[in-house]
Amino acid sequence: MSVLARSVGNAFRNKIRTAAVVAVLAVAIGLALAMLVANQAVGAKVQELNASVGTTLTVNPAGGQGFEGGGEPLTTAEAGTAASVANVTSVVGTKALRLQTATTGTTGTTQQAGPGGGFGPGGQQATVSTSLVAAIDAGTLGNRNNASGNSGTTGNTGTSNLPARALPITATGIGAEVDSTGKALNITSGTGLGDYNTATGKALVGTSLAEKNSLSVGSTFTVQDKTFTVTGIFDAGTAFGNNAVYMTLPEAQTLAATPDELSSMIVTVNSMENVDSTKTAVQSALGADKADVTQGQRNLETAVSSLDSVKNISLVAFIAALATAGIIILLIMVMLVRERRREIGVLKAIGAPNRTIGLQFVLESLVLVALGSVVGAVIASFASGGIASALISSNTSTTAAPTTQRGGGLAGAVPNGAVPGGGGFPGGGQGGPFGGASQLLTSVTASLSPGVLAAGIAAVFAVAIIGALVPALLTARIRPIEVLRGE
Amino acid sequence: MIEVKDLVRQFKSGDRTIKPVNGVSFELEKGSLSSIVGKSGSGKSTLLSLLGALDKPTSGDVVVDGVSLAGLPDGKLTEYRRRDIGFVFQQFNLIPNLSAVDNVMLPMEFAGIRKAARLKRAKELLEQVQLDPEKQSRRVNRLSGGEQQRVAIARALANEPKLILADEPTGNLDEQTGEHIIELLSSLSRDHNTTILVVTHDRSLAQKTERCFRLQQGKLTEEVRTGSRR
Ligand SMILES: Nc1ncnc2c1ncn2[C@@H]1O[C@H](COP(=O)(O)OP(=O)(O)O)[C@@H](O)[C@H]1O
Ligand SMILES: [Mg+2]
Repeated sequence: MSVLARSVGNAFRNKIRTAAVVAVLAVAIGLALAMLVANQAVGAKVQELNASVGTTLTVNPAGGQGFEGGGEPLTTAEAGTAASVANVTSVVGTKALRLQTATTGTTGTTQQAGPGGGFGPGGQQATVSTSLVAAIDAGTLGNRNNASGNSGTTGNTGTSNLPARALPITATGIGAEVDSTGKALNITSGTGLGDYNTATGKALVGTSLAEKNSLSVGSTFTVQDKTFTVTGIFDAGTAFGNNAVYMTLPEAQTLAATPDELSSMIVTVNSMENVDSTKTAVQSALGADKADVTQGQRNLETAVSSLDSVKNISLVAFIAALATAGIIILLIMVMLVRERRREIGVLKAIGAPNRTIGLQFVLESLVLVALGSVVGAVIASFASGGIASALISSNTSTTAAPTTQRGGGLAGAVPNGAVPGGGGFPGGGQGGPFGGASQLLTSVTASLSPGVLAAGIAAVFAVAIIGALVPALLTARIRPIEVLRGE
Repeated sequence: MIEVKDLVRQFKSGDRTIKPVNGVSFELEKGSLSSIVGKSGSGKSTLLSLLGALDKPTSGDVVVDGVSLAGLPDGKLTEYRRRDIGFVFQQFNLIPNLSAVDNVMLPMEFAGIRKAARLKRAKELLEQVQLDPEKQSRRVNRLSGGEQQRVAIARALANEPKLILADEPTGNLDEQTGEHIIELLSSLSRDHNTTILVVTHDRSLAQKTERCFRLQQGKLTEEVRTGSRR
């Protein structure tokens, strides 16, 4: 019979009580572990969100956004101004073009004659002809838009007999390998454009557009009269986003015949915390009458901050559950030591050193905690996934509800956003851009990593050791006769 | 070898203090067999626990082989109890959920003796105190009072102590087993030079010890006997 054997024996001396203690410990430890897992999962997601999308600002001309509004266009000089603001890490200019499929028998120049462009309003977007055919059918929304777009057009003759509507294709000149919202382009085949600040005659096309026009890497198409070579195919994740072409910024500026103008600028801030102050700084540097600075990822920031609060709640819950487990084992050990005071006195009287007595009770409490942890880990492995997604989905509904849709310009702000075809475009429908956020957030799933488990259990074991050692040693320090005579 | 010097132990009960041990001095020779008699409540157990370092005196000292217990720290007192003392408690004080053998092995475990050697010696000791072999591995709370008393005696002998302090060791034993235990104790004092001090009510046991003390009103007096037993 060794100390260990004696401790194990003592742990099972009262089997019903041991079962009850193990059950309660298991629930507390299981809950603590589940909370730790949830905390880690949410934390990782917050970090990911912050790193990928949370730090960009979008600058549009004052009073204008997308294809709507008016005001003075942004210039390359203003991009320099924005870049010199503190905490700004980069400024990427974009120049949007609207590509209209050249119809047989009609030259592109006819279409361009009208001041407002061939189709739809076009304040700062030049409409140019292309050999490409749009990958999206006009549909009800597109035709309705077409009709309203034409009503105010003076440049188009023969309005009585409208041709079948072909939707325009968005072409964007970009100063870096990002999409029009500042998110890195997901190139699925081929390569990027290389140098984004020179006219190279190269272009990136969206997957559906490439498919529709049978384009692959190395294929060519024309815009205006210039031939472009496809160097890469990208996937924006949406039907609308994939009906698009990206080219270098100077290329788009040349095509639009507006060499110094920018449709918008994407300003990247060095950290999440500086976004708000930098937004104000960029706004005042550019002038409120010149530019509108928006934080495209505003809704995400809200999501991140409420995810952050979920993270804090789960951390508090983890600590509380762990503390509960600690208090349980502490009280149990205090009770056990009290109950066996006399026995401690006997051990001491026949020459047991204090450390042996302490060790015996520590081992006994570790046996209880080990059993509780094993059962608790099983509970946690079943519960943690459910708890994490429950926390996050309830969080998502509160985030999405108060946020109102601020027009098409925001639609692209949702990463992985499942925006339906035409979403955000004046011709598009009221797609639910926040569906994407919800999907994203519910995709946070918890997994039991060994490190997380070890940390949680180690903490409980530490409490168990202290909970056993302190009362046992306090009792062992009493003169044996006082303990032996009592009761 | 054991010198007791003006030992006093007083207790407060309510507002009066009682002194069951009130200035006790005596010496015990190495290998001697002595007994203490006295009325119930006269302080015999109190005196014995002072000698066994289970309690601390209010004043006075116990000197064992030239070492004063009063000056020893807790750790050293534990070591003294483990190595030098075999204590037989009046209430046995066995660990109830352990078997007889395990109880006897405990002091040897604390002394760092290897498991096989512990087991062998524990079985020998239980045989010496005449515990039925089939009861050796039985939990002690399933043994009778007399059987438990014999396990307690075997445990006290486990580490071959130089001083055995036994509080009413034959109180629960039938006459025949009691005789045997007395025989065992006197052979230890004779053959192993073990000093033995027994507290007893049993006149015949007291008769068989070399010296007999009486504790009365806190004082110890030696009973003078005519002619040695041996
Ligand atoms: N811790 C204590 N507090 C108060 N009184 C005590 C304590 N221990 C013993 N006594 C008293 O001291 C006296 C001697 O007790 P004890 O040594 O057990 O007597 P004996 O063993 O001779 O029967 C008794 O009156 C007892 O009540
Ligand atoms: Mg007594």
